[in-house]
Amino acid sequence: MRRKVLLTLMAGLLVALFGWIWQERVALRAFPDIISAYTAKEYCSCRYVMQQTADYCRGYVKQSVPTSDFVEAVEAKRVTVSGLGRSHSARWIGERQGCRLEP
Amino acid sequence: MSKGWFLIPLLLLNLNAQAEDWPGEQWSSSPPPTGPAIEALEQYAFVPRDDATRQGIRTDALLVIQDGRLVYERYAGPTDAHTPHLAWSISKSLLATVFGVAYGEKRFALDDPAARYYPPLERHPGMTLADLFHWASGLDWQEDYEYAPLDSSVVAMLYTRGRQDMAAFTAAHDSFSPAGQVFRYSSGDSNLLAAALENIVSPSRYADYPWTALFEPLGIRHATWETDASGTFVGSSYAYLTAQDLARVGLLMQRDGRWGDRQLIPKDWIAFNREPFARFQAGQDEAVPGGHWWLNRAADPSIRPWPDAPPDTFAALGHWGQALYIIPSARLVIVRYGDDRDGSYRHNELLKRAMAAFAGTVQP
Repeated sequence: MRRKVLLTLMAGLLVALFGWIWQERVALRAFPDIISAYTAKEYCSCRYVMQQTADYCRGYVKQSVPTSDFVEAVEAKRVTVSGLGRSHSARWIGERQGCRLEP
Repeated sequence: MSKGWFLIPLLLLNLNAQAEDWPGEQWSSSPPPTGPAIEALEQYAFVPRDDATRQGIRTDALLVIQDGRLVYERYAGPTDAHTPHLAWSISKSLLATVFGVAYGEKRFALDDPAARYYPPLERHPGMTLADLFHWASGLDWQEDYEYAPLDSSVVAMLYTRGRQDMAAFTAAHDSFSPAGQVFRYSSGDSNLLAAALENIVSPSRYADYPWTALFEPLGIRHATWETDASGTFVGSSYAYLTAQDLARVGLLMQRDGRWGDRQLIPKDWIAFNREPFARFQAGQDEAVPGGHWWLNRAADPSIRPWPDAPPDTFAALGHWGQALYIIPSARLVIVRYGDDRDGSYRHNELLKRAMAAFAGTVQP
């Protein structure tokens, strides 16, 4: 009897979990992109718009979620960051336009 | 003897012209003030920085303009007088001020439907430009930045699903209320305005418009305003100005849209910026929304977000402690850039101490 109650409870929780995943599927799919896109964009602007040092900017963009790979091409003013299995780049375009994430 | 009499009107005229200071290439400045009130201000704003924990108040720049003169300036951390600092949501109020110039060119009216200038909003025919300036589009937007990143509309707009075309991303949101009824702070609303501006001023002028309309007339030589991939200014978040240049916008606002002899922005536009949104309710935000600026008064007289500052105080405010405060009754403009990561900074405390230091005779 107790096992049956437990199983029903587990099944209910699973249904709720899958329901939530389905409902949030678009947001969940985009979620792992946040950390690398955020880091690339804000680091690029920190370095090439606000003209701060690499050291300072690494600290400035640091979040609790770690990034795994970080490549700065100083000549091209382009930054590529990986984290949570996704990778994004941002590039400095000009004095007025600043930095932008690449598609 | 008669020569002397002749000179008196000239002298008076000269005194009159001297009475109002405006910045040229540089701000004219006064000797740095000292005393216990300045010390109290600095004890609040400039505590030792901890870059490891990033806790506490972390002021990058504090600048005070009184009567058009630079009376106080101090920088900390990596920021100096030449740093174009990220303004975050101060950008929204800058956008509204850019709109003020277009308003002076009679290019739009506040009750125009937003869809007239930004057709993807045709799904929302009742939404006016004024509704967007009040952050009352009625769109079901979630503004949370760091604490609920999964559901945050603003994180998705800036970094993931919305980043190619932020206005289109916003316009695709459903409504939770008819437009104009409910205040809900939204970076999306600001970027709908940024997109509408393109057709308001014409696409050929758009890419340069913030510079030609606002920055250049104010003598701002180095400003950055990032765009999304579709070319729309990120009006919500991504303008960069030095503290001294942001103060120029503050002085323009303090003096009701006038810059020197030129009425750059109509007075009734500034009045709209400073008019509280009538449907704002206590507790909906930390300050009272006006027309894309933040106010220290509301339609309900019991609401005073910053009790130690005069009721005519208004401000442009941004993430991580960015602020441009304007106190017309004390003839003060205050720029405060920061890198606050824990939300411990209080506008009221800074304003209280700045009032004590620079406006000792004016009672809040």
